[in-house]
Amino acid sequence: MVSVINTVDTSHEDMIHDAQMDYYGTRLATCSSDRSVKIFDVRNGGQILIADLRGHEGPVWQVAWAHPMYGNILASCSYDRKVIIWREENGTWEKSHEHAGHDSSVNSVCWAPHDYGLILACGSSDGAISLLTYTGEGQWEVKKINNAHTIGCNAVSWAPAVIPGSLIDQPSGQKPNYIKKFASGGCDNLIKLWKEEEDGQWKEEQKLEAHSDWVRDVAWAPSIGLPTSTIASCSQDGRVFIWTCDDASGNTWSPKLLHKFNDVVWHVSWSITANILAVSGGDNKVTLWKESVDGQWVCISDVNKGQGSVSASVTEGQQNEQ
Amino acid sequence: MKLKEVDRTAMQAWSPAQNHPIYLATGKKFQVTPLTLLLFKRLLVIKFIFFYRYHKLIWGPYKMDSKGDVSGVLIAGGENGNIILYDPSKIIAGEKDVVIAQNDKHTGPVRALDVNIFQTNLVASGANESEIYIWDLNNFATPMTPGAKTQPPEDISCIAWNRQVQHILASASPSGRATVWDLRKNEPIIKVSDHSNRMHCSGLAWHPDVATQMVLASEDDRLPVIQMWDLRFASSPLRVLENHARGILAIAWSMADPELLLSCGKDAKILCSNPNTGEVLYELPTNTQWCFDIQWCPRNPAVLSAASFDGRISVYSIMGGSTDRLRQKQVDKLSSSFGNLDPFGTGQPLPPLQIPQQTAQHSIVLPLKKPPKWIRRPVGASFSFGGKLVTFENVRMPSHQGAEQQQQQHHHVFISQVVTEKEFLSRSDQLQQAVQSQGFINYCQKKIDASQTEFEKNVWSFLKVNFEDDSRGKYLELLGYRKEDLGKKVNFWESLMAYIDGLITQALLTGNFESAVDLCLHDNRMADAIILAIAGGQELLARTQKKYFAKSQSKITRLITAVVMKNWKEIVESCDLKNWREALAAVLTYAKPDEFSALCDLLGTRLENEGDSLLQTQACLCYICAGNVEKLVACWTKAQDGSHPLSLQDLIEKVVVLRKAVQLTQATDTSTVGVLLAAKMSQYANLLAAQGSIAAALAFLPDNTNQPNIMQLRDRLCRAQGEPMAGHESPKIPYEKQQVPKGRPGSVAGHHQMPRVQAQQYYPHGENPPPPGFLMHGNVNPNAASQLPTSPGHMHTQVPPYPQPQPYQPAQPYPFGTGGSAMYRPQQPVAPPTSNAYPNTPYISSASSYSGQSQLYAAQHQASSPTSSPATFPPPPSSGASFQHGGPGAPPSSSAYALPPGTTGTLPAASELPASQRTGPQNGWNDPPALNRVPKKKKMPENFMPPVPITSPIMNPLGDPQSQMVQQQLSAPVPLSSQSSFPQPHLPGGQPFHGIQQPLGQTGMPPSFSKPNIEGAPGAPIGNTFQHVQSLPTEKITKKPIPDEHLILKTTFEDLIQRCLSSATDPQTRRKLDDASKRLELLYDKLREQTLSPTITSGLHNIARSIETRNYSEGLTMHTHIVSTSNFSETSAFMPVLKVVLTQANKLGV
Repeated sequence: MVSVINTVDTSHEDMIHDAQMDYYGTRLATCSSDRSVKIFDVRNGGQILIADLRGHEGPVWQVAWAHPMYGNILASCSYDRKVIIWREENGTWEKSHEHAGHDSSVNSVCWAPHDYGLILACGSSDGAISLLTYTGEGQWEVKKINNAHTIGCNAVSWAPAVIPGSLIDQPSGQKPNYIKKFASGGCDNLIKLWKEEEDGQWKEEQKLEAHSDWVRDVAWAPSIGLPTSTIASCSQDGRVFIWTCDDASGNTWSPKLLHKFNDVVWHVSWSITANILAVSGGDNKVTLWKESVDGQWVCISDVNKGQGSVSASVTEGQQNEQ
Repeated sequence: MKLKEVDRTAMQAWSPAQNHPIYLATGKKFQVTPLTLLLFKRLLVIKFIFFYRYHKLIWGPYKMDSKGDVSGVLIAGGENGNIILYDPSKIIAGEKDVVIAQNDKHTGPVRALDVNIFQTNLVASGANESEIYIWDLNNFATPMTPGAKTQPPEDISCIAWNRQVQHILASASPSGRATVWDLRKNEPIIKVSDHSNRMHCSGLAWHPDVATQMVLASEDDRLPVIQMWDLRFASSPLRVLENHARGILAIAWSMADPELLLSCGKDAKILCSNPNTGEVLYELPTNTQWCFDIQWCPRNPAVLSAASFDGRISVYSIMGGSTDRLRQKQVDKLSSSFGNLDPFGTGQPLPPLQIPQQTAQHSIVLPLKKPPKWIRRPVGASFSFGGKLVTFENVRMPSHQGAEQQQQQHHHVFISQVVTEKEFLSRSDQLQQAVQSQGFINYCQKKIDASQTEFEKNVWSFLKVNFEDDSRGKYLELLGYRKEDLGKKVNFWESLMAYIDGLITQALLTGNFESAVDLCLHDNRMADAIILAIAGGQELLARTQKKYFAKSQSKITRLITAVVMKNWKEIVESCDLKNWREALAAVLTYAKPDEFSALCDLLGTRLENEGDSLLQTQACLCYICAGNVEKLVACWTKAQDGSHPLSLQDLIEKVVVLRKAVQLTQATDTSTVGVLLAAKMSQYANLLAAQGSIAAALAFLPDNTNQPNIMQLRDRLCRAQGEPMAGHESPKIPYEKQQVPKGRPGSVAGHHQMPRVQAQQYYPHGENPPPPGFLMHGNVNPNAASQLPTSPGHMHTQVPPYPQPQPYQPAQPYPFGTGGSAMYRPQQPVAPPTSNAYPNTPYISSASSYSGQSQLYAAQHQASSPTSSPATFPPPPSSGASFQHGGPGAPPSSSAYALPPGTTGTLPAASELPASQRTGPQNGWNDPPALNRVPKKKKMPENFMPPVPITSPIMNPLGDPQSQMVQQQLSAPVPLSSQSSFPQPHLPGGQPFHGIQQPLGQTGMPPSFSKPNIEGAPGAPIGNTFQHVQSLPTEKITKKPIPDEHLILKTTFEDLIQRCLSSATDPQTRRKLDDASKRLELLYDKLREQTLSPTITSGLHNIARSIETRNYSEGLTMHTHIVSTSNFSETSAFMPVLKVVLTQANKLGV
C-alpha cells in the first residue's frame, strides 16, 4: 500500500526537480527551476518551511543531505554550473561553500558514505566529475575527473561502504580497509565505475554498456550485508537495468533488464533495505519494483500523486507488465 | 562547445533518432564524392560509396524497429532530378549493392526532401518548376502530387511535413512564398507570404508541438529574419526574429525542446534562439566561415552539426564545457584509429582524415542561457528512511502557453508510506502482543497448531515447553520418551544389583575378589564381575568397569559407560548422530544442570556440522534445549534463506520466545546479545522501519549492545519518530570538528578510529561542550528523555553510552569524574578495570558491562571514590537484575535473600543501608531521573524484553550464592515470570540491589561454600540430577570451599580469562574463553573435593605462577609435562581447557 501521509505545498514558482528527505526522514529539501532550495520540517505530518535558500542563478537540479554526524548539511547543484553546500548554524541555514569548478550545468550531487568523511561527488554536463573533500576549517579539496562522460555526466551514486570480505563490522582497532567507489552515468550512454587508487587518484574501473541512449540516473543499492553489489540505471531509451556483481574482485557486472518503458526514465531510487526500486518516468509515472523469488523484477505498484496499491503477487513471480 | 570536426565532407544527414549507435552521413554538395558514414561516437569512417552529384541528403527511419539496428534508408536528391534510396546497413556491412531504388521523375535538381514522421514510408520532395512529389517507399515507382502546381512555377527550396498532423505538408520557394498542403484534400489550403516581398526563403520548419505554427527564414541580406507564423492568423507573422546581420542560410528546430531554434547565416554566426520569445540563448563559437547547413542530432538532443563552406562538418554540443582536454583526446583517438589503415578489413584504404588545427582561443564555452527541456527533470520518486517515498511530478504543459500557467500550478511534494509486507507486519504485531501479554504458551500453541511442517511443529513444541513446568520431562516426551518409561529403564540398574545379591556371598566365600572378577570377565560373565568388584572395593570396581567397557561393544554399553562414569560429554561427542534423539534424551535425563546446556550445545554443534541437512535443522532443537539463542540464530540462518522478510520473521519469533524462555528457565544473562543475533535483530528492526513501523522497530532492536550500527539505528529510529531536534539549539559540534585528514592515505589511516570517533560526534547535537562519552541528543532536552525508548530495566547497559542524568546535575557537568572510562566502555566492550573486581565470577562480559553503572552510581551519591575500585562495584549481574524486578520493597526479592543457608549471612538486610540510598526518590543507580519522573507508559510496552541479567547455572559454579538465588527463583517460576514481564516504568530497581551490593563488594570475595550435594551422589545419577531443576529449593546445595592453598589457582586462572576476554575481540575467541571459564569449574570442583593428585596440583600451581609472571610459554611447557605424566582420566576434564586459555593468553599477550 502506498498512501500519502503528507502533501507538502512547496510554493515553488516553477518545476520541482528534486525532493529529498534527510537521514531521519524528518526534513524535506526541495529544489526547483525557480532557483531556490527549500527545507521543510515535515515531522508528524506538518510542513513548516525552515529555510528558503537563494544563491543559485539557475535551475537547481538536485539536493543531497550529508550524514547528520557532520551536522546539518545540504548540497545543491544547478544549471548555473555551481555546487553550493549549505549548512545550518544556530538554527539558520547559510551558504557554507560554493564550488564553481565546472564549465557547464552540474546535474548531480551525491555524498559519499559517511565512513569516508565528507566527500561530495558532482557530475556535470561539461563531462567532468569533481570530488570535494572536506579537509577541515571550511576548506574543501577538489579532485576532478575530466572527460568522464562525453557531452556530460547526468548522475553520480556512491557504492556503500563495505569492507571486502566481511559481512559484519570488523572489530575495532583494526583498520577498515574501505575501497571507495562510485558509479556515474552520462550522455555517452555509459555507466562508469570509478575507484580510488592507493595514491588517491580516481580511476575508471569499469564501463557498463547496455543503454542505447543517455543514462539519466544510476543508483548503487545500499548494502544489506550480502556480497552482491547492485546498481540500477535508467535511461532516455526507456530502459531500466539492474546490474549485479557477485565476484569478489568486483569486475564482472551483468545487466538484467527490469523493464522497457515507453518514455524516458528520469530517476531510480532504492529503498533503504534495497529490496524495492522506485522508478520515475517521463510520463509522470512512478512505479515500484521488487525482485520476486525467482529473480524476476516485478512491478508491485503504480504510484499516482503519491497513492497506489501494492500487488501481493510478488511471491508468485508474476510479471506485471503494463 | 565543439566536439568534433570532420574534413573533406560537407553534406550531412544524421541517422534517425531510433538508430543506435549514431551515424552521420556526409557527402560533398554538387560534386562527385564519396558518401561517407561516420560513427558518431568515435568519428570513425565506417563506410563510403561513390555517389552522384546531389543536392540534398536525408536519412529516414523507414522500416526501422525500435531495437535500433542500423537500418532506415538514406535518401538523396540528385542533380538530374533523380532520387536515390540507399540502404545504410548494407553500406556499413560493406556490401556492393547498396542502392535500394532510384527514380528520376523530377525534371530538375532535387533540393528539398523530408520524411513524414508519422508514416515513415512517405517522403516529400521538391524540385524546379514547382514540382512536389510524395513518394511511398513501399511503392517507389509512382509518386503522388499534393495538388496542382503552384503558379507561377518556381523552385521549391524547402519542404516540411507537419509535426502534429500527418497529412499536412508545407513547401517554400526562394521567392518567399510558402504553401501549406492538405494531402487529404489534395490541394493547397493556405499560402503564407510576407508583404515586403523581400523574403527569400532558405528555411522552413514546423513547430514541434503546435500544429499551426511554422517559421520561415530569409536568405536576403536586406531582410535577414526568421518569421514565425501562425496559420490561424496568416495575415502577418506572429513574431519576427532579427538576430542575424546578414542572410540566413539554414534553420533547424529542436524536436526535443521547442524553445530551441538554430539558425546560421552569412554573418558567420550560428545562433540558438527561443522562437517563442525571440531571445538568443546561445551563440556557437564558430570560425569565420559561413555554414550552409545545420542539423540537430535526432538522438542526442544536445548535439548539432554544422556544415561550412570550407568543406568541414563540425559537431557541437550546446551544453558548453571545456574543450581543451577533449581536443587532445580526440586527436589521440583519431590517430589511434588511423594507426590501423584498414580497421574494417574491407581492402579499401581509408580516406585520409586530418584533424584541423584550430587555434585554441578560449577553453570554456558557456552553455545555453536557458536550460534545455531535456535536462529538466519533471518527476522524481526517492525513498527515505522509514519506508517513506517522496514523489513530485510536474504536469506537462504545452510549452507555448508559457510560464504563466506554470506559475499558477501548485508544486506539491507527496510524502507517502510504502507498505509491502502486510503478512510480515501482522505477524510481527502478533509477536509483540504475545510479548506484551506474556502469553507465550498460547502463542506457541497457536504456532504449533498452524505449523505446516513437522519440524516447525517440533520447534514450537520445544519452545513452548520452556514456559511449562518440568521442562526437561516435557522435552523427553517430545523426543518420544516418557519420563515414567525412563524411570523403569533406570530401575534396571537397581534390579540388576538386586539380582546379583546372591553372588556377593559366593565371592565373599573365596575372599579373592580380584581373581573372581577376572574369572568372571574371562567367562564373559560381566555382571558377576562387576558385582564382585563392587564388593572388592572402589579400586577394583573401577578397574573392572574399565575392563568391562573395553570388552563389551554393545551399543548400550556406551550409554552405561556414560551413566556410570558420568561422562556425558563423551556420549554426546561420539554417539552416532542418527541417534541424536537418544543422546539428547540421555542428556536431558542425566546431565547436571551446570553441564546440561553445554552438552545440548555440543550435540547441536555436531548435528549442525553434519552434512545431512535434515540433521542440521534438528540442531535447532538442541540449541533450544540449551537455550543458546546465538547458536540457534546461526544454525537457523544456515538452514533457511533469511533474506525474505517472512523467513526472518520466522526466525525472530523463535528467537524472541526463546530469549524470553531462557530468562525464565535458565536465568542466563540474556542481556548479552551475540553478534549474530544483534545483526539479525537489527536487520529485523530495519525491515520493520522500512515498512513504517518505527515504534515496533525500536522495540525489537537490541537495547544493550554497543555495536555502532545498532546504536546508530536506534538514534535514527528515535529521531524518525519525531523527537525534537536538538540540532536547533546548538548545532555547533560535529561539523567543525570533523577533521578529515588531508591526503588519501592519511584519511584511510584515520579510519581506524573513525567509527568510534564519529559515533561520538554523532550524537551530541545539543551538547556544548560535549561530554566525553557519546550522548544521545535526547539528553539535551530533559523532556526529550521521555521519548527515549529505554526502560529503567534496560538502563543498566545503556547508562554508559547515554549519561542521561546529566541535565539534573548542573553543578557537575561531568558527574562521572574518572568514570569517564566507564563512559567509554562501549568502545572497549570489555574493560580491564573490572576484571579484578570479581575474580570468582566467570561471566566476564556481563560483569564488565556493569562497571559503568557502578561508577555512575558512585558519582551520583558521592558515597565513595568514583573510580572503579572494587568497593563500589556492583554485584554480579544476576542478583542485581533479579532484584530489579522485585521492585522496591517487593516481598519476592527480600525473600529471595534468605534462602540458601550459609550464604544469607553475607547479604545484609536492606534496612542496614543508609536511608538515603534506599529510598532516594529518583536516584536508582541506573535510573535516569527523567525517566523516573516522566510517565512513559505509552512507550514502555515496546520494551518487551527487559534483559534480565541473571547468570545461568551453566555459567556459574553451583555453590555461588548468586546461582543459588537463581535457582531459588527457578523454584518459583510463576512469580518470577510475572515480575520479569515488564518492568514498571517507575521501578527504581536499584535499591535492594545496592543493599547487597556494597557489602558484598567490600567483602571482595564470595563467602565460603560448602560441598555441593549432587557431587556426592555418584551412584544415583537418576532422579537426583534430573529433578535438579525442578526440585532444587527443597535441597540444600552447597559446595565445599576450595581449600585456601588452592584458591590461588582459581583466582589466577579466572583473572587470566578475564584479561584475555578484555583484549580478545573476535567472537570466536570470546566464545572459547567463555566456554573455558565454564569448564574450569570442573577443575575447581576437583579442588574442592581434593581428588587431584599432589603432582597435578603442584603442577597447576607452577602454571599459576608462570601466569603471574606472564610467562605463558613456560606455563604451556608445564602443562605438557603434567598431561604427559598424569593419569589421563584425572586431568582430561580440565587440562585441555587450561591449554586453550594459556594459548590464547600467549597469543593475546595479556
